[in-house]
Amino acid sequence: MKNPMMIGLATGAATLTLMLGIVVTKVKAAETRLKEPDKAQEAVAVADHAEEAYCTPAFKQVLQRVLNACGLVGQESRRGCQPGDVKTFASIDDDDFNALFTPLVKRGGIVMFDEGKEDIDDGARRLVEQKWNERKGARYFFIVARASTTGSVDKNRSLSHRRANSVQYFLKEKTNDPDLDSQVGMLWLGSEFAQLGKDYCETWENSRNGQKCDTETVNRSAFVSWVDCRL
Amino acid sequence: MSNERSRPAPAALLAVVGSLLGLAFGAVSTTDFAAHLDRKVHGVTCSFVPGLISSEGGANACATALYSPYSSLFRRSIWGGVPIAVFALGAFAFFLGMGVWLWRANVSGIPRSVRVAYGALGLTPALVSIMMFTISMSKLGAVCKVCSGIYIASILVAVSAALVLKGALEEASSGPPLVLAGGVLAVILGTASAAPALVYAASVPDFGPFVGGCGKLEKTEEKHNALIKLPTSQPTKKALMFVDPLCPTCKAFHEQLTSEGIFDRLEPTVSLFPLDGSCNWMIDAERPVHPGACVVARAVICGEASQESRQVLEWAYEHQPELTAAGKVSPAAVKQIIAARFPKEAACVDDPKTDRRLTQMLQFAVENHIRVSTPQFYLDGQRLCDEDSDLGLSYALRRLAPEVLP
Repeated sequence: MKNPMMIGLATGAATLTLMLGIVVTKVKAAETRLKEPDKAQEAVAVADHAEEAYCTPAFKQVLQRVLNACGLVGQESRRGCQPGDVKTFASIDDDDFNALFTPLVKRGGIVMFDEGKEDIDDGARRLVEQKWNERKGARYFFIVARASTTGSVDKNRSLSHRRANSVQYFLKEKTNDPDLDSQVGMLWLGSEFAQLGKDYCETWENSRNGQKCDTETVNRSAFVSWVDCRL
Repeated sequence: MSNERSRPAPAALLAVVGSLLGLAFGAVSTTDFAAHLDRKVHGVTCSFVPGLISSEGGANACATALYSPYSSLFRRSIWGGVPIAVFALGAFAFFLGMGVWLWRANVSGIPRSVRVAYGALGLTPALVSIMMFTISMSKLGAVCKVCSGIYIASILVAVSAALVLKGALEEASSGPPLVLAGGVLAVILGTASAAPALVYAASVPDFGPFVGGCGKLEKTEEKHNALIKLPTSQPTKKALMFVDPLCPTCKAFHEQLTSEGIFDRLEPTVSLFPLDGSCNWMIDAERPVHPGACVVARAVICGEASQESRQVLEWAYEHQPELTAAGKVSPAAVKQIIAARFPKEAACVDDPKTDRRLTQMLQFAVENHIRVSTPQFYLDGQRLCDEDSDLGLSYALRRLAPEVLP
């Protein structure tokens, strides 16, 4: 081929054909990959509640039972569990039950009450509100109320129930949170199950810091805390 | 004579070299663009040596250019559009053919009218390059190396054309009429340029089934009214965005929405999702993705009181490098930068109520089981796939919410 124009035309045509081939090849290769599942996307995490190290299987088992038995999960109309329930569903002794909550020492607090009373004072309000506002990634908020050994078992059972309710009512009133009922789990233990030892006066934040605290007073209380476990 | 043939004239040489260069860079650019048709993340070549350096994730000027609305045409009807670079393939194939013809005919062997037509048509790639360079500088603030390669190739072809034109204009008229020669060459150039684009458009798979297939919001309302509604001029469609003020992709997405006139046609609600473990428990506190983002997110929340949330968010996007650098130092350093521009907002950043509201936004993300990534964009509760948030945005919006397209 000696005609310069034909050589130029052939060069242009051949180059164009090559470019068309590249275009088709690249697009078709992408189409093939398009049909393959994207493993990178499948591996992306999904937003979820917090899961701290203290969420051991034993801890989660107890929490799950509380949620199931005490009205937070399902359609149960009742709210909260009393000592008899806890003993039955938790299948756990007093010390082990308290030990489960030990890792919450920085997360929770102890709301103190006067003897035979369920009224919450200013210090209690501040502590409950503070703990409620420190939610972060937690799903459930627990109120575990107790009574000291002063008085009869029945009276203390009833008193601890009222104390749990006091904290819950305060939260309802203060936060007006529409999700509150599905977040708050209540237990009232009276004086017959999982009493706190004096060491709780020193190690846990309470609503009456600096005031007298002993085995009697620390059990006239409601323990409050968010729990950072996925259940 | 044989010596003259073996040694090409400068004009021919420039045309051949320029065209080969243009073909190489055009092919690289087209290849990079076409790779994204699989809807996955790819590195974007950004080097004067084609294919030598590839940047994963695309944080370079070439990626900026590729993801910008100026990299392709017909984006509403074809997913991603037809890349501008694909037109260059056909054009430079034409000019390569012309260069070889000039070489073999020793330039003067080509009829004068054809040379004049070549001289005029040879300037067109340079004109397009000037236009694209202007867009790069004025709209993107960066020039990519691959694009520069094409600009240089265009200049070489233009110089060749100018040399040929100069020589032709000094001669008396000869050969076929100029209109005929010019018309034929223009048709060949047009056909050659359009051919790869047509083949590209015809080969692109149907993306219709992919659009809108990325799920829906489980809960469209946040019960505590924690989310932030941003003001726009012509709200026509409800949109919910999970964003991180220090996330570069969120910034790019926001800029794309605003530059294409889409944002002001939305009724946008923002749920802040800072990828910073100091407030977001879903992120490792020791390894925050965007340190300082929690402080900036709180400032955006605080902006609502003075109806300045949008301004704070857009300011944060604009000052991302500065805020990100400060975030690596300390939250206080971030707060200091915010305080210099938004003193009222900075004052409320540490308010427990602000923190609670941010937590409520994060809990809203949990309730909806969204993926831990930003941005995420929902139109009337339907999620826009991440893959449709850049190149495929116009295509996807045309199907999901055509009313938001200007």
